Amino acid sequence: MPDPINIELFEKDQDALDKFLQSWIGEKMNTGGTNHAPDPVNMPMIRHWVDAFQDRNPVYESEDYAKDTRFGGRIAPPAMMQTWTMPRPILHNIGERGGAAQDLDPDTPLGVLDRVGFVGILATNSELEFDRPLKEGDVLQSEIILKSVSARKSTGLGQGYFVTWTQDYIDQNGEEVGRQNFTVLKFNPSTIGQ
Amino acid sequence: MQLITEFADLDRKNLSPADINVGDAVTPMDIALTHTLVASTAIASMDFMPVHHDKDYAQAQFAPDAFLNILSTNGYISRFVTDWAGPEAWVKKINVKLGVPAVPHQTLKFTGEVLSKTENGDECDIEVSVAAANDSGNHATGTAVITLPL
Repeated sequence: MPDPINIELFEKDQDALDKFLQSWIGEKMNTGGTNHAPDPVNMPMIRHWVDAFQDRNPVYESEDYAKDTRFGGRIAPPAMMQTWTMPRPILHNIGERGGAAQDLDPDTPLGVLDRVGFVGILATNSELEFDRPLKEGDVLQSEIILKSVSARKSTGLGQGYFVTWTQDYIDQNGEEVGRQNFTVLKFNPSTIGQ
Repeated sequence: MQLITEFADLDRKNLSPADINVGDAVTPMDIALTHTLVASTAIASMDFMPVHHDKDYAQAQFAPDAFLNILSTNGYISRFVTDWAGPEAWVKKINVKLGVPAVPHQTLKFTGEVLSKTENGDECDIEVSVAAANDSGNHATGTAVITLPL
């Protein structure tokens, strides 16, 4: 169970903040626990993607071509895995929310780090694994689980924590189809040079 | 006027694992980034963060310009390796360390080479290095693994 939140304490007691962050390892970080895809894997969104990327791989678009490949039919571009469970965006005030599509949960480790001054965020590493091709009609959901939080480090952007989570993608049969490990630096811009 | 309904390249060839050797270059891919591409790929990936389509907002966040989202970095890497290996290639892994932002008016140059080749049942895993660089330095560096049928 995560430690209780005490912002005043965390602001002055680094050990208490560090212990709070570590107490979240293994916990689900997304609001409500799971992101459900708004739509099944579908051709209109695939077409939008291949046009934006000018990706002319015929297995994404041509059923005639793809049926004779080892995929046995059209597949979605693998890197779209993340796209399927992206939340529908609330565009009003998205800038004020730091660009988040929905209200951020202030009680997750990222929200708490914001509240104690570590408001900066910079992505540093992405590791994607795709277990199987997705096809039209697949319905995904994803869970974001906190994997690790580093000790507080001094970086060129100020003091900060490297925060790593895993986003697991699960299909309509409950089977994992892939995952992403993602690391960000949450930094406090007011501590630059310290 | 005839409406174009399909852009797919139906003549694309597949590489066979026998044709691929450690040290081979992955065919380079240059993407001359524009605001249109940065915004289109962000929205196609369902990422509406203003830093990926609103230059004023991005600059207020101390970025040089609106910049490519990470989903699109991975989308372009997927295209880079499958443009080279062919439609039978399945992308299994893309691991990258992220560097400078990829911004409009600079060409993002993708390069790589074959690091290893491993038979795995009726497939062959091929690991390649990947670097995506622009005038400011490396935007992303890492590896990708594709499989091809044996």
